[in-house]
Amino acid sequence: MERQQAQDFIGDILELPRAGELQVLLEGQQRLGTRFSGCAISQNALRQQVRLTLSARLEQKKTSLTLNSIDDREQIAQAIERAFATCRHLPDDEELMPAPGEVIAQAEHTRRGAAEAISIDTAGRWVAQACAAGAAADIDLAGLLATGNNFTAYGDSAGGFAHERHDRVDYHVTASGDTGSGWAEHQGIEISRDSLMTATRRAIDKCLAAQSPRVFEPRATTVVLEPQAVGDLLAMTAWYGLDQRARDEGRSAFSRFDQRLGRLSLYSDPAHPAFPARNFSNDGEAVGRGTWLDHGELQQLITSRYWARQQDLPAKPWPTNLVLDGDGTPLEELIGDVDDGILVTRFWYIRATDPGTLGFTGMTRDGTFRIEQGRVTHPVVDMRWNESVLNLLQNVSGSGTPVATGERFPLVMPPLRVERFNFSSLSQSPPSIG
Amino acid sequence: MYELLRQACDTARAAGCSFADARYLEIDEQTLASRDHALAHNNESRDRGIGVRVLYRGAWGFASAPGYEPAAVDGAVALALDIARASAYAPRADGVGWADEAPWQAEFHSDYARDPFALPLAEKADLLLAANEVMLHNPAVKRAQGYLAFRRVRRWYVNSEGSELHSDVTSSSAMLWAVAVGDSDFQQRSWQAPSVTRGFEAFDRAQFVAEAERIAAEAEEKLTAALAPEGTFDIVTDSENLSLTIHESVGHATELDRVMGYEVSMAGGSFVDRDKLDRFRYGSEQVTLMADNTLRHGLATHGFDDDGVPGQRWPIVEDGILRGYSTGREFAHYIDQQRSRGSCRADHWSSIPIVRIPNLFLMPGKQPLSPDELIGDIEHGLYFEGMDSFSIDQWRLNFQFGGNAVWEIRNGRKTRMLKAALYQSSTPDFWNACDATCDERFWRAHGVTNCGKGDPMQVAQMTHGAAPTRFRGIRICRGRD
Ligand SMILES: [Zn+2]
Repeated sequence: MERQQAQDFIGDILELPRAGELQVLLEGQQRLGTRFSGCAISQNALRQQVRLTLSARLEQKKTSLTLNSIDDREQIAQAIERAFATCRHLPDDEELMPAPGEVIAQAEHTRRGAAEAISIDTAGRWVAQACAAGAAADIDLAGLLATGNNFTAYGDSAGGFAHERHDRVDYHVTASGDTGSGWAEHQGIEISRDSLMTATRRAIDKCLAAQSPRVFEPRATTVVLEPQAVGDLLAMTAWYGLDQRARDEGRSAFSRFDQRLGRLSLYSDPAHPAFPARNFSNDGEAVGRGTWLDHGELQQLITSRYWARQQDLPAKPWPTNLVLDGDGTPLEELIGDVDDGILVTRFWYIRATDPGTLGFTGMTRDGTFRIEQGRVTHPVVDMRWNESVLNLLQNVSGSGTPVATGERFPLVMPPLRVERFNFSSLSQSPPSIG
Repeated sequence: MYELLRQACDTARAAGCSFADARYLEIDEQTLASRDHALAHNNESRDRGIGVRVLYRGAWGFASAPGYEPAAVDGAVALALDIARASAYAPRADGVGWADEAPWQAEFHSDYARDPFALPLAEKADLLLAANEVMLHNPAVKRAQGYLAFRRVRRWYVNSEGSELHSDVTSSSAMLWAVAVGDSDFQQRSWQAPSVTRGFEAFDRAQFVAEAERIAAEAEEKLTAALAPEGTFDIVTDSENLSLTIHESVGHATELDRVMGYEVSMAGGSFVDRDKLDRFRYGSEQVTLMADNTLRHGLATHGFDDDGVPGQRWPIVEDGILRGYSTGREFAHYIDQQRSRGSCRADHWSSIPIVRIPNLFLMPGKQPLSPDELIGDIEHGLYFEGMDSFSIDQWRLNFQFGGNAVWEIRNGRKTRMLKAALYQSSTPDFWNACDATCDERFWRAHGVTNCGKGDPMQVAQMTHGAAPTRFRGIRICRGRD
């Protein structure tokens, strides 16, 4: 839905009878997911959805109703009436804030690139070409090409309105051989056949290099982490550690920690060209640039409007992407300075082991290699690691150029070199498929 | 209600599809979340739509549309066909195997005594707010939270083979959390209420209040608990803790689509290759793991799956030996089975059915054995309760799990609480180290409500269960230096 059409639609809803303040969120999604395994398309699905969420507030009481049909005005009117009736039965929530009533300008950058042009037929042809490249190399390929055209619109009875279209492309591919695998991705808002094939070849090359891994006895060592690994870990960190109120109330790793965390900056910027993201929240707040670590110094973290009022701070809504800057050192140079260490392509299944110290565990997968005397020498069997992000950020000894990553949450991350990274146990050489 | 679905399948057949099915779903949900003394969130949602799946010249197509209008159904069939034609650019060399299934006309209704959607909001909110009140009564607790979710899925399913199936399943789940804050630490303790295909009668206010008081006290105790020792110890897992270990190390590992590489790019593969069937020693003789999609109140009990196959009960591991996999109709032939196990489900009308973990549980011990007796045989060990940190590799071998509360066992007795304890093992090593599980008096079920699989990810629910169980000589490490 375009901006004007969304504005008219939401405007009409706001004209309906209502007993108090109303917020309207309209989300539309159209997504084609072409999934492949064994060098063949195994699932291919189109999802088309629209969701309308009506949030009613009566003084310090609020409730919401979600519908997935938007054509029936009578049903919408009844839903609004029901939501306000429900409100009366709720206890007061003193933290409830009024609707922002902000008019948020359309983002400057357009997201309408190649993603919109990829038809069902094109997606099938491109994936078939990738599969053929795998078959030619006698490598088993599996992955997903997903292209989505989405929109989100918000309006409230305090005069607020925002609208945005957001295209999304997610291509990732795993190449599996008899004794090792390789992985690559292309994330962002657009993709070409060339970039899809480049990622495919990267996965195949990585797979070929990953065969016959040797055991590296798990221990603390220098690692070079590729962008996916860095992003996977920092996204978890954001979830556990970036809330200002939790920090102020003693419920965060940062409540009792005020040392400098290395020299890099961690920030969010919906207008970042490598991976632009939504510039308003589902609650109608503008999401601007937010800096969480400024050259390693902790800044004011994510702050709800309620907490901002209590603490007399500016509000900082939840970010819609996450960016770690880097020094721009080429990956080969990051590796070149390592006498003895490990190159990690991808992390997997990261979970917190101790939120109090931002301790996490996870696995390596799909291409893990030994570095000796500045060169990648051979693949190694995957390992589990246990590491605190507080230690990790303090132990960064080099960084590259940030690139788009993140299948679920938009991330822009550089490769990092980290000293004394703690590998703790061994997995096994991959068993064969089937 | 079947009329439009039948037309969709007929249209697909007329267009040359060898198989087609169509589903219409009505999904109603209510979620409530409490924060301290307030209800911070209350949402009711109403979601209707269709999904059409076609197999055309050995290639799959799937399309979905909101609502249940003739034009939308026609449009979805046409799109599904277009999509199948695009899939045919990269067909499976050996085609799509599709297990036979009889045409069924059946209905399944989960039973409940108190319809959660018909109850006044105040009664539901009170359950959470009363629990929070009790938690906040403990001065160490600085944040109390609760969550309630009710879900009703009414499904009409038709396929081109003549099946017409209807199910109506209501499920309820709830959770409480207490966060305690001290001078030098903060700790969280949680309690998961039974997650079951039942109504509001599954919840008992007195139990919520009692559990709230207990987790608040234990959250406080965790603040000053000693760090866990590292090394090799005997451990006992309670039924909730082991439920998640069963889920991760057995449930996912024995999904046949994973074994065959269909999920390798995201959720991963499996070490349980087909050569292991009826041969591989998965665990000790104490270990019998049953799959059962007919389990009353089980979260994966829906009468039949989204391939149109009735729910079944079958062994995955029997007396320690691998005996079966979870399958769908596309996968049964890979293990030379004529029929699917009926374990293929979609999480929404817009999602493709995929092989899912069934209700899956460790059978209780045959000899009378109480938890006290189980612990009584351990000189120095750890007792793990509840779910916490859990991580496993993409082959389902190397895992590391924590507990929401962990106690030290000394000379056969549960003693002081420990923090940051994790047990790390490899799936077959772990299950072979099992030397006893308590008898059926101590067996409990636990629902998993957030199992992620597929790409894009789908979230499914299933029930696990176990009695307290002992494992010998397990590596313990810790999540904090
Ligand atoms: Zn799962």
